[in-house]
Amino acid sequence: MISAVRTPDSVAAAVGHAAAGGWLMAGGTVVMPQVNNGAVGSPELISLRRAGLDGISLDGTAARVGATTTLAEVEESADLAFLRGAMRTVASPAIRSLATVGGNLFVTQPYGDLAVCLLALDATAEIAGPDGSREAPVDAVLASGVAPGEVVTAVRLAVPAPGTWFYHKAMRRRLNSAAIVAVAAVVETTGGLVTSARIALGGVAPRPVRAVSAETVLIGRPLESGVLEEAGRAARADIAPFDDAYASAWYRDRVLPVHLSRAFLG
Amino acid sequence: MASSVVNLRVNERSREFLAAPGTTLLSSLRDTLGLMAAKRGCAQGGCGTCTVLLDDRPVMACLVAVETVDGASVRTLEGVARDGELDEVQSAFLEGFATQCGFCTAGMIMAAEALLERNPDPTRDEVVEAISGNVCRCTGYGPIVDAILDAAARRRS
Repeated sequence: MISAVRTPDSVAAAVGHAAAGGWLMAGGTVVMPQVNNGAVGSPELISLRRAGLDGISLDGTAARVGATTTLAEVEESADLAFLRGAMRTVASPAIRSLATVGGNLFVTQPYGDLAVCLLALDATAEIAGPDGSREAPVDAVLASGVAPGEVVTAVRLAVPAPGTWFYHKAMRRRLNSAAIVAVAAVVETTGGLVTSARIALGGVAPRPVRAVSAETVLIGRPLESGVLEEAGRAARADIAPFDDAYASAWYRDRVLPVHLSRAFLG
Repeated sequence: MASSVVNLRVNERSREFLAAPGTTLLSSLRDTLGLMAAKRGCAQGGCGTCTVLLDDRPVMACLVAVETVDGASVRTLEGVARDGELDEVQSAFLEGFATQCGFCTAGMIMAAEALLERNPDPTRDEVVEAISGNVCRCTGYGPIVDAILDAAARRRS
């Protein structure tokens, strides 16, 4: 039995409740299944729904996305149109209208496709806590979470230039299935040769990971099939795949190069 | 462990009730308000049979802690028919044999209503996406997709 459900109407109040030991909940798509299972003991739930953390703003190419912005709102945002394809591969519409951007940073793989995107985008998390506010790379939040009592309040990212964003997710079904392999990347080219690359992978490690070995292969070379196959094979050094109901670790490792190539070549 | 007073606008009617901590919107609808259309299936957000519209968006009612949506507007299948007349989606489901055992039907229709309100002329692929979170183990989905396309055409004409 849940002991109480708090609905703080400010970040400060949410931090106060979180510091006292409650469970933070945004959309509820991860927490509520556990509540319904009766497997959570009797914690306090702290809903961020009323904490004023939703909304998307854009200044030039700098976007700020509030933590409780839903995936449906991201999907519908003209400012974040580059993420629309990725959002439409996440679960189903009735989940996307609950699930949030901030919550996506705290789900376990193979879920958390937006977190994979945010890692590729080198996004920054804004975090409020008992000792004030701080910022941290999304990479760091994915690696080690936040401290007790801290609340992610927003993420900031740079909207990639046209033609530099790549996303591909391999699933067992065309819709509403978790990642076997997800690939998100921001890759810039000049004169047909790669000048910078940030590639993030989902579904192939306990958390979203950078494919730094693949990035290294691509620099200075064209986005062509032979190069991408080499990069995909190199990316195997960056993963730690797992078995689950969707695919085996062996399969994920095996198909990674194919899907890395498809992210760029279709 | 104190219960809270929750106010919802359910099918255009104000409802005030008590909810124990952690009560879901689905449980409030079924067990407190007696609205039995939304079904309790998996309680994990995976089957879609509890789909209702929360502030006009489709949600899995089993995943919503009702205390967090105090003041919201909720629409369920019970609010779809007007003056005893089935709406276009309901009629198309009935006439297109898009319901068999019926367990998924309430969620399917609410997912369809959400789609058609935003997109009155969906493609077949868009219909499939709209109901991608709703599991049907009887029909094979074909008649449901056909019925939603039929409903869209009826509503446009």
